[in-house]
Amino acid sequence: MNQVGVLFERGKLFLPHVMMAADAMSAGVELLQDELASGEGSAKLGVIVNGTVEGDVHDIGKAIVSTMLQAAGFEVHDIGRDVPLQNFIDKIKETNADMVGLSALMTTTLQGQKEVIELLKENGMRDDVKVMVGGAPATDAWAKKIGADCYAENASEAVVKAKELLL
Amino acid sequence: MATEYFLRMGDGAKIFMSKEDIMADIEAGCADAADLGDIPSLSEDEMEKMLDIITSPGRIVGVEPGMEVPVTHDIGAIRIDGDQGNSGVGIPASRLVGSMIHERAFGADTMELGHIDYSYKPVKPVISQEQQTMEVCQQNMVIPMLYGAMPNMGLYYTPDGPFENPGDLMKAFKISEAQESIKSAGDHGIRDMVWIMQRLQHVGCDGVNFDTIGAAGDGDMYASLNSIEALRKEFPNMYINAGMAGELVLGMHGELEYDGTVLAGLWPHQQVGLAAKAGANIFGPVCNTNTSKTSAWNLGRSVTFMKSAVEASPIPCHVDMGMGVGGIPMLETPPIDAVTRASKAMVEIAGVDGI
Repeated sequence: MNQVGVLFERGKLFLPHVMMAADAMSAGVELLQDELASGEGSAKLGVIVNGTVEGDVHDIGKAIVSTMLQAAGFEVHDIGRDVPLQNFIDKIKETNADMVGLSALMTTTLQGQKEVIELLKENGMRDDVKVMVGGAPATDAWAKKIGADCYAENASEAVVKAKELLL
Repeated sequence: MATEYFLRMGDGAKIFMSKEDIMADIEAGCADAADLGDIPSLSEDEMEKMLDIITSPGRIVGVEPGMEVPVTHDIGAIRIDGDQGNSGVGIPASRLVGSMIHERAFGADTMELGHIDYSYKPVKPVISQEQQTMEVCQQNMVIPMLYGAMPNMGLYYTPDGPFENPGDLMKAFKISEAQESIKSAGDHGIRDMVWIMQRLQHVGCDGVNFDTIGAAGDGDMYASLNSIEALRKEFPNMYINAGMAGELVLGMHGELEYDGTVLAGLWPHQQVGLAAKAGANIFGPVCNTNTSKTSAWNLGRSVTFMKSAVEASPIPCHVDMGMGVGGIPMLETPPIDAVTRASKAMVEIAGVDGI
């Protein structure tokens, strides 16, 4: 799967291929379950709520990130696009999520990422939930400015950063 | 301390760098494009020229006399009437007035009419209005007046359209169902785009701009190329511009083909041949700006991709330049220093035929 991730990042493999590889890997792990130590290979890496913030209808980039995170072994709850900010908080509570991914493709909707972080603080949840931001106008500097834990430039980097923060 | 020069990050932030650091970023950007696209990097002379353009002392720069190229505008008159989110200036003006301002005040060489939703699908219910406006524009204007919109296959998937969202299907490991949904949406899109342009051609439209082809992946490109082919057959003299959404065609389906070529994973120099084969007159190659890199890195990368597309192209290439593309920062109102430098580099180094 690591090699698949590299080829995905270089534009040589695409989502269907990633999913086929992930499906094959899951089937292989299942077959080897008895040979592996108890639980190893099947445990989820963490729970992530992912969505595009309110006012922004862009779906595809966020969907690719969700799929790649899922293929990497995370439990992903993709709550869609144009998501009311309170819904992020509600879903995090419901799923006891370890991380939230906030996507925005427009400079005019970036502010929503900051507002979700504020809501996490207001609800006393900020210390328990990592925050990842992404989307074309987002940058590492923006992530630092609003107090996010990380910025990911693309889906492959989102997987790497999620692993760094949650494992 | 070495002299430092003013340039920008991809998000528009002002920065200052030494000549050596700028050159290192140009080289790195060129190398990234060459590596990904398996294309030649720029020569040392070309990189030196780019360095001269970036470090030029003036706020704005321009091409050398005799190297001027045609300038074509997209998004119709929304740039006048639209809000800042559309890079507009919010001046109330009809689409006719906006288009004529572009023709007679801004020096646009061609112009297009576009609906505020700027996707083909929402034009269907307002086609009569679009026909009337197009006819009035044609009666008042001299420059070629096209109709433009985005193929935007995203509008054909749930919750906006009749076909199940391939992103949702993919996450559920329903891979073949996702691929089927993309193909079905593409076929539906072809019917819509051809139908819309048939109607507009009947009122004297000069042609069509397919804007941001591939924005929803290879299904989007499949629909666009097949629409271009159908329109070219029906309207041999129609002016067709095929403008892309990014430098790489993403494989949401992964296996869709046009003329025996898999569309997923094509870079600009590989896309242009298919656009020409389908019947486009003009190809609009695109390279997206990385907001975390400097304008030197972005311009080096972008010019390298565009130069290889120009060299491979049997038709003129009018590079897409603007907010977040062509080495220009991602800002609603792109800074003029970056816009003019990137434009000059595209013309004088990449050799583009138009912007």
